[in-house]
Amino acid sequence: MAPNSGLQIDESALIRAAQQGDHDAFEQLVRVYDQSVLRLAMNLLRSPEDAQDVYQEAFLRVFRNLDKFRFDCSFHTWLYRIVTNLCLDQMRKRKVRREEPPVLAAADGPLDRMDSVPEDRVDGDPQRHLFSGQIRIRVKQVLDGLTPRERMVFELRHYQGLRLRRIGEILGTTEEAAKNCLFRATQKMRVALGDFV
Amino acid sequence: MSHISNCADTRMLFALLLYGELSFDEEESVDAHLDGCADCRAALERERSLHAAFDGVAVEPAASLLRECRAELRAALEHEPLLTGSRDQAASREPGGWWDRIVNALGGASILRPVGAVALLALGFFGARLTPFLNLGQSEGLLAGTSQAGIARVSDVETQTDGSVRVVVDETRQKTISGNLDDQRIRTLLLEAVRDPSNPGLRADSVALLSHRAQSAEIRSALVYLVGHDPNDGVRLKAMEGLKASATEPEVRDALARALLNDSNPGVRTQAIDMLVPRPEDHSFPNIDRAMIGTLQELMLRENNPSVRQRGQRVLEAINASAEIY
Repeated sequence: MAPNSGLQIDESALIRAAQQGDHDAFEQLVRVYDQSVLRLAMNLLRSPEDAQDVYQEAFLRVFRNLDKFRFDCSFHTWLYRIVTNLCLDQMRKRKVRREEPPVLAAADGPLDRMDSVPEDRVDGDPQRHLFSGQIRIRVKQVLDGLTPRERMVFELRHYQGLRLRRIGEILGTTEEAAKNCLFRATQKMRVALGDFV
Repeated sequence: MSHISNCADTRMLFALLLYGELSFDEEESVDAHLDGCADCRAALERERSLHAAFDGVAVEPAASLLRECRAELRAALEHEPLLTGSRDQAASREPGGWWDRIVNALGGASILRPVGAVALLALGFFGARLTPFLNLGQSEGLLAGTSQAGIARVSDVETQTDGSVRVVVDETRQKTISGNLDDQRIRTLLLEAVRDPSNPGLRADSVALLSHRAQSAEIRSALVYLVGHDPNDGVRLKAMEGLKASATEPEVRDALARALLNDSNPGVRTQAIDMLVPRPEDHSFPNIDRAMIGTLQELMLRENNPSVRQRGQRVLEAINASAEIY
């Protein structure tokens, strides 16, 4: 799902104009996508400063390489490829730096702790569904425990609303691999959060 | 079409089902199983709750952060080599312009970049006026006899061929002008006065007067500027007071959001939050938008003052949003 600029913009024309050195066209192009780029970086990196750095670096790379863009894929895919690579690099660096073990141990096999949850929970107190501080903290911890790739796929699918096929294109992999990645991520989340919902 | 009869296998597909990522056959198979299995229908409801839990931690970047990013990018592009199509124009551009020098002088640290942007704006605003007023201090004594009840400044100096020095003095006679606030001359003069960096008292008084006509776009813009850039806490607070009636205008909200996140004075930050999120009787905050939520979440990251933090937290809790940047 590409961001909606709210205007009918001929994106190809903008790209071509920007390739010819039209700075206004480049700026328009940036404005079509920059909010979602910043949101993606912010959600993945959870640091305004790091998100700001990714934003800047991503659009500078786009600017520097725009003349090499040959419309082989959509501009959105190309841009997101750059952004996700920058974010993944940053997340991997953090994983290396981090000394404490991940909150959740990797669970590659199909685990379903929901099976052990009593069925009467569905009809329980509706307040249970409200977000408590506890559940937010837990969700954050679980997301931290995902691998950078799982985290990325989950972010792109759940928060950015991209289809798995597009996610595969962005990450340079197949739809099936993206699907497996999402599957593992949601399994881990379910195992870790089963007690809360 | 394969048929899933096993509950565990069915539940494995719930996440992908909710994302709409199952194939037609897989979805049919899951539906068929759900028709006959109450336990799995209940499990699917729990899966939906889990999805809702994920939604609660998403963060919308603050509008001010997006603005900073755009300003930084624009500045960085100023000294990027141009793209192929316009390389002929590149020669006319100096590598490493004034923005570079300022950013470099700030050490290039990302946290200092916004400071650079603010400093530049402030320079643009006050720069033209600062010099004459500094000169005034030096020239007053020397020129005291030449201009009673007036102000004067040196506007140019030059060495003549005979070794003498030529000094050009601009003299301004003081004069009194009266009128009401609807008089454009009075407004123009007051707008000049709020830019006088040497006299915060004069600025505060002028702001208080201009506030009576804050519905005028020109005056509102001046007040907005002062909220963000006046060095005096009292003047900023007065400018905010003047903007109360137009607190729903986008440019005012932007200025208030910036003040909330960046102003050094907790009183200003408190007033900013009160104006941005006025507390309704039922504490429901029905009109708070996503950008505002992002701003408040960013505030919780930066804010050290307990009172301001408490206010921000109260709003976020009331609307059931995360108090942290996630």
